[in-house]
Amino acid sequence: MPIAADFVKSVTGETFAALVLASSEPVAVEFMSYGCEHCRLLEPVLQEVAETLGAREAVFRVNIAVDQELADRYEIEGTPTLVMYSGGIEVGRAVGPNPSVKVLWNAVTRPFEEIAS
Amino acid sequence: MTESTLTKPILLFNDECAVCRVIARWVCNSAEGQEGGSSIDIRPIGNDPDALRILNPALDIWDAYANIHILMPDGTMRTDGEAVAETLRNLPNTRWLARCFNVKLFGRRPFQAILNGAYTLLADLRPLLGCESCGIPPPWLRPFHWLAQRITGRFRGRNHTAIKSRLTKPPTLKRTR
Repeated sequence: MPIAADFVKSVTGETFAALVLASSEPVAVEFMSYGCEHCRLLEPVLQEVAETLGAREAVFRVNIAVDQELADRYEIEGTPTLVMYSGGIEVGRAVGPNPSVKVLWNAVTRPFEEIAS
Repeated sequence: MTESTLTKPILLFNDECAVCRVIARWVCNSAEGQEGGSSIDIRPIGNDPDALRILNPALDIWDAYANIHILMPDGTMRTDGEAVAETLRNLPNTRWLARCFNVKLFGRRPFQAILNGAYTLLADLRPLLGCESCGIPPPWLRPFHWLAQRITGRFRGRNHTAIKSRLTKPPTLKRTR
């Protein structure tokens, strides 16, 4: 996998509250681990989606191999799991999404569109 | 090629994978047995992409988990069967064997090609052999993987999932802790 710009920023247990829960913007968080093959397949697609979203929505990753406590707190049962937050409230969740731009785009944008409508 | 400050090769292994751990332990024990100390460092890949890039700027953490990597003191990187050959070259008990991987016949290295094939096969088999993180078995292995899961009673990895994609919405919006 070529090393390119990282449009998905890492968030840890220490920064989760400030970057995710306190954010007034829509936020999508991918719970993943680097040793997970499904996460590896999703990574380039997620990067593409995050780049396209730009400032419209922040996309973060939580490495559950490091932050197991966060995974437990948010009841993550498998990786990759995407959890969408709006104003610190969970508004949607996608478990094991297919690694396609369309599926992922829907997963990270639809919950916010439903709130807006 | 990149500048490197490594004094000896570093073999990276996936410490979430049972198969990789067994192999790494064997390499570690073999390397420590030689005079003058070990000629190879064996390190878990870990979780810090930046720490890996310090070792070699071209090293991507996703790739490191996907297949075997050995980082050379000259700044180069060997992967797959080439990394296995390099590891064997650095172990006192297998150095003699590793010489055959350099043998050329008609401009090709047949023994290295066999080793590359064997590595690919082992890498494919890892999910079947107890690797909890190696994820998705290749299509040809899926019936055996399914059978192994039935026999062992394990249908899902501890941290990983192959379940069908689904979108869920919490029944009521809840304030997260």
